[in-house]
Amino acid sequence: MAITPPRTRASSELQSDVINTPIRKRVTDLDHAGGDTGAMQVFASLGDANVVLDGPVGCHVMPAVAVINYTDCIPYLQNVTCSELSETEVTIAGTLGALKEKVARSQVEGRQVFIVSTPVSELIGASWTTMEAHIKGSALFFDSHSLDDDEWKSRDRALLFLWEHRDHFVRPADVAPHPAKTKPRVNIIGPTYGNFNSYSDIAELKRLIAGIGAEINLIYPFESKAYDTPHLSDADATIVMYEEYGKSIAREIGLPTFSGPIGLEATTEFLEGLGKTLGLEAEVAAFISHEKKTTLAAWQDIWRSTHSDFFANSPIAIVAPPTYKDGLTKYLGDELGLPIVYSAYRTGPESTPSEEVRIALRELSPSPMMVFGSINERMILAQEKMPTRFSQCSFPGAVVRRATGTPFMGYAGAVWLLQLVCEILFDTLFANLPTSASPPVKATMPTAQLMTSASDAEAGAKGRNSVLSWTDEAKALTEKTLKRVPFFVRVSVNKKLRAEAESLARERGTDVDLAVIEEVTARYAPGR
Amino acid sequence: MCPAFGAIRNLLRMEDSMPIVISSGDGCLYGHTFVAHFYVANRPVFSPGVSSEIWAKGSMFDELKAMVHQMAEEHQPSIIPICSLCVSDTVGLPFDLLPKQIGNTEIIYVPLPAYSVHTHARAKDIVVDSLTWRLPAQRKARSGVNLIGEVFPSDPIKIDEVLRKIGTHVNTHVPGPKWTDYVAMVDGAINAPLHPFYSESVKRMKMKQGLPFIEGAPVGIDGTYTWITGVAEAMKLDAKTALSVATEEREKVKAAMADYPLQGLTMMVAGYEGHEFLLVRLLIEAGAKVPYLSTSVNTNPLARVEEAWLAERGCKVLYGANFDDEIGALTDHPYDVVIGTTPLCAHAKELGIPSIYYTNALATRSMMFAEGAADILQLVMQTYRAKDRYDKIARFFADGAKPVQTYSAWAPKIDLTTHLIANDAIVSHDAAVPKAGV
Repeated sequence: MAITPPRTRASSELQSDVINTPIRKRVTDLDHAGGDTGAMQVFASLGDANVVLDGPVGCHVMPAVAVINYTDCIPYLQNVTCSELSETEVTIAGTLGALKEKVARSQVEGRQVFIVSTPVSELIGASWTTMEAHIKGSALFFDSHSLDDDEWKSRDRALLFLWEHRDHFVRPADVAPHPAKTKPRVNIIGPTYGNFNSYSDIAELKRLIAGIGAEINLIYPFESKAYDTPHLSDADATIVMYEEYGKSIAREIGLPTFSGPIGLEATTEFLEGLGKTLGLEAEVAAFISHEKKTTLAAWQDIWRSTHSDFFANSPIAIVAPPTYKDGLTKYLGDELGLPIVYSAYRTGPESTPSEEVRIALRELSPSPMMVFGSINERMILAQEKMPTRFSQCSFPGAVVRRATGTPFMGYAGAVWLLQLVCEILFDTLFANLPTSASPPVKATMPTAQLMTSASDAEAGAKGRNSVLSWTDEAKALTEKTLKRVPFFVRVSVNKKLRAEAESLARERGTDVDLAVIEEVTARYAPGR
Repeated sequence: MCPAFGAIRNLLRMEDSMPIVISSGDGCLYGHTFVAHFYVANRPVFSPGVSSEIWAKGSMFDELKAMVHQMAEEHQPSIIPICSLCVSDTVGLPFDLLPKQIGNTEIIYVPLPAYSVHTHARAKDIVVDSLTWRLPAQRKARSGVNLIGEVFPSDPIKIDEVLRKIGTHVNTHVPGPKWTDYVAMVDGAINAPLHPFYSESVKRMKMKQGLPFIEGAPVGIDGTYTWITGVAEAMKLDAKTALSVATEEREKVKAAMADYPLQGLTMMVAGYEGHEFLLVRLLIEAGAKVPYLSTSVNTNPLARVEEAWLAERGCKVLYGANFDDEIGALTDHPYDVVIGTTPLCAHAKELGIPSIYYTNALATRSMMFAEGAADILQLVMQTYRAKDRYDKIARFFADGAKPVQTYSAWAPKIDLTTHLIANDAIVSHDAAVPKAGV
């Protein structure tokens, strides 16, 4: 027998109680998925869940087959299906018949079925009241507010929904009881499917928790079953990995809560806070001390090396959801000293429209050396021909992050990000090395002839190799162009530009004037 | 870094040059190739193979000769510099027997035994000397100033602008990307080594081509003024015009520097480029106390004026300095900023002192005239302002304590080995000997 879900909306700590995304008249290059996707990704993450999306085929194959293949490198989610609504259901029959059949097929022994509404089913008013009379078994229906809530708010609500229904889930008789506590215990809320870099970050958090002598109670929902839900209260503390969701369920569980830490300082505060809460202060101190000599030895070595000298002159921009925008700003900006010349939230009520991001990035002078963002920012950099390197720190955008050695969080994350920044610096440097003459430029005449050919020098005028004069307009345009080049490689670019301009001016027998510089800068795209 | 790299770097950056590096073995070649590809150029480094058998058989010279011919015929570069490093220079190959020219290509021997070259700066001097020595004696008609020394790309343009105001111009600038940059030196009327380490090449060009030279560079308040008037005097240009231009430029530098007062700050500078003299000049004029300049450049006549200027302002110059000297000096004063070599900076960072690596951060910037001064001082200020960050990180790794800045704790006077033993980084022989009765 299905349980009637609460009729009121689950309250959420996120900004708006009703709508998490600003109402926009025009959207260019969206930064988030809808509520149905977010809810599906939460429920599907539970090891014993089957999810039925109440919608047409696109609502299923787009998030659970096409996109998941690039966010998580999973060919398709095997525990997600959909009611495959067609014209008949949408215009005449309603979704119930189609849904009934799919739910029945999904309700296999040991699986908890979650029905998630989609825009179409919400629009045609598929009614749970009717459904509950017809759908047998333990299926739960989740109204995903898919037209109004974004994926993050929906994840937050879906998690809260799970907690509110914790007594609904039955632990199968043949499953061992939840393990007894031997050490202080910690929950981790998040990740779900479709979270950037989660595989590495979860591995690092596990390492830290083990390192301080605590143990994991549940990693929820990713490594849990629905029937584990009531045991969330068996822990001593909760870590909410992401700023974007998970706070509502954590508040209801009622344990001391910590955020996933990005950066050296944030990780130290995180560990010390956990230590205090769990009564493991001494263990935490010993662990941090040990980390300084092991994991963080790499960090200290890089910091003491010349690599870090470039940071103060390597401006960066960050366009991402709060976890990454705020986390990277604090770590890369405040701790490492890379100037953050632009940053914007991309998600939630404060999300900056892509067109605004484009204008802001384009107008930056100098151009940032690197931009952390999604494929939207990557496209802007390419389209605006910016000499800026790109690194991904959020979705959308295809990226493989399944190896567990690339964390953003924790001490290992601090090392990895530091390494990443240095690699991008080197990449920029390589792309702008001043010389790449291979094979070398050919000699046109013997040296003896070179000597005698300089007749102008004989006359006491400028030698053939003299520095050419530059007009003020030419200098001004050059300066403007160079200002767009990240400082780190400005010398190399300056050398290249000067050589090209002067050789063109020599060919024409003129000073380096505006026409010359215009021609050179037009064909010139630094870093290419 | 191997001193010889200073030469290989400049030769590899010449677009019509195809250097051959006769390495002292694969360890040597790997190092040079590694840094060449990181810093210098996206192009191949060529080298004849070396091994004990090749040296024993004496087949190296024949191999080299064949290689030179093949490269000259196939690629026809303007020059093929033969960079002879430690082993080949010790063995003493008969480089005189190599052809001087093959077609349009000049074959030029560049002796670079690191054990006697000592510094990057000296290696760069050797390049200019080796290349210009190939050129015939001075032409009759001469005009303009030959700039010698690596500078910011826009510096020669700016210098040219100022020189035109006093009635001359920049004739050519080396090290440059083309062989003609060097060839054109014989058209010039005077050499201006902008860094004090081109002493050998300017001396020999004076000897062979009769080219006079002028010391210093237009850096800082005094330096800019002195250089402009000096050029005018040496070239017998109109003194009144020169005086007015020099005064005007000096005032511009003064105005630009006023934005970056460094009063009350103590800085340490250690470099191996040669421009460190000029940097210290700027820092002192901006108000900083620089008690100590360490340079791996050896004392030479061209640096005497600079040294005297610095000494008058309380800055001691240590020539041919090494790591231990520098670390020793690091603890003599409470430094606010360190601009130095990599090991020195690493050490300073451990102590929580803001520090930047001279070569990467400073050597690539203009120091000249008002713009250069402002640019450099801005960087120094920016570095100083990050003091809290450096301090915080140093404390974190010192487990919360303020890192101790005492000579004994951080920098044993003896040598690096003792320092490492003291830090348990290596086990000393003494410690490994079991004590009697234990």
